[in-house]
Amino acid sequence: MDVIDGADAPYWNGLVEGRLMLPRCGGCGDWLWPAVSRCGKCGSEAIEWTARAMAGTIFSWTRTWHRFGFTESLDLPFVSIVATVDDCGIRLLGRLDDPDRIDPVMGETITGRVGATRVENRDIPTIIWSRG
Amino acid sequence: MHPLYGTTAVAGIGMRQYRRGASPLPEQGVLVEAILAACADADLDPAEVDGFVSYGDDRNEPVRLMPALGTRELKWSSVVWGGGGGGIAGAFGLAAAAILSGQARAVIVFRALVEGSSGRLSAAVMAHHLNDHMLAAGIVAPAQVCAIRANRMYEHHGVPKSVAEDLVRASYYHGARNPEAVAYGDDLDVEGFRDARWIAEPFRLFDCSRENDGAAAFLMVSAERARDLKKAPAYLLGCANGAEKGWGDLLENDDAVLYPTAGFRSIARRLYAETGLSPADIDVVQLYENFSAQGVASLIDHGFCTYENVAEVVRFDNLIAPSGKLPINTGGGNFAQGFIHGIGTAYEAVKQLRGESSNPVPDAKICLLAGGPGAPTVSSAIFANEIP
Ligand SMILES: [Zn+2]
Repeated sequence: MDVIDGADAPYWNGLVEGRLMLPRCGGCGDWLWPAVSRCGKCGSEAIEWTARAMAGTIFSWTRTWHRFGFTESLDLPFVSIVATVDDCGIRLLGRLDDPDRIDPVMGETITGRVGATRVENRDIPTIIWSRG
Repeated sequence: MHPLYGTTAVAGIGMRQYRRGASPLPEQGVLVEAILAACADADLDPAEVDGFVSYGDDRNEPVRLMPALGTRELKWSSVVWGGGGGGIAGAFGLAAAAILSGQARAVIVFRALVEGSSGRLSAAVMAHHLNDHMLAAGIVAPAQVCAIRANRMYEHHGVPKSVAEDLVRASYYHGARNPEAVAYGDDLDVEGFRDARWIAEPFRLFDCSRENDGAAAFLMVSAERARDLKKAPAYLLGCANGAEKGWGDLLENDDAVLYPTAGFRSIARRLYAETGLSPADIDVVQLYENFSAQGVASLIDHGFCTYENVAEVVRFDNLIAPSGKLPINTGGGNFAQGFIHGIGTAYEAVKQLRGESSNPVPDAKICLLAGGPGAPTVSSAIFANEIP
């Protein structure tokens, strides 16, 4: 895997350890995503990485049928979602299990587990969400 | 009055367009032809051009064009940040800024795209902001990025999906009647549209623009100078470029209200405030539609309709020239005129205002160029054939 050194490094390291870690401002308490080095609201540079449950709701989705480059490891069609994580409101990109090809519903409750997505020669840690 | 209002103009236009992979020349050669055509259109010596502006990661650095054009002195070369078509209208504002500040006198706005030279546009756009969060979710293409937003607009905000079909049909209707369009002679087969293969839901094949090879160039000069050149000026009345708080490259964490939009709310607000115009003053819209839903969202953002009444406004009959009240994409738009990263929409804006369009809008005086929707940074501009 590539070196993880961006502002979101604790997120990726957390997933590798099976945990969802998300950043919160130590000054005003706002959740900050994308990960940043400074809170634009209060100016604090104290970023507190906090564990959250992999539980949330569906914010939006698409089901991909066309074979785009970089998706070769995924069976077609596959569903990608934007998930709103409970108890913080951060939205994450992820994938949704789609065994019965039932269209997702916005607001639907979902739970996640850590899987991986093979892209070229890398396995990127990925939250795979399921309904219920 | 705002300094941009009616103080510069497009004085010449040139375009070369081919099917993807069919360009007879490499990218720089096609671009040089388009620039020479724009200068000939205005009857201005191409060696006199002293400035260049582009957008969307164009690879033709202006200094390299100098030998072929015979450029005497390069005084301005700049590009609007942003990987998508969001910068297209902003490029005209940048050219105007150069002219009004005395840093250049004759500026070419251009975009060139020849796949054999610079690869697929979709790949170039995505390279701009592709990251592991997106790769892990299988989100790797503009169609998917826009599809997720579109579903939110359709499902959460209640926009009926039927409006997309009307929008696409209107583009094809005009393109079928424009000899310069790739779809010339081909009205959209509605059954074929509905049954086309899925790309990324809610988009089927014909909800997506498809790339062409080619280049287009626009010669901009001061309004005063434009009046002395060969063709009637297309005056720039206003231009806004940027993003507001809560919109941008935010890993889908845009403000919930802005999320399903095309990103133009602040752009439209500024554009209308700085020109003193309103949607009711716009006679014709050249609407950058990378994907059908984003075209609809752009019309909503620019104040032509709302989530509630969109189906009353975005109707095929209402969108076509000469009879519709809101004629859009009178050259065929990105769907049917051709897609050289959207530059054809600006080309048609000038043709329409000159009365040279194949689908003339009766007495059209004011044209909105609504730039690439859904990009992190977006822009729009208003042109007119007289200064109101
Ligand atoms: Zn803070």
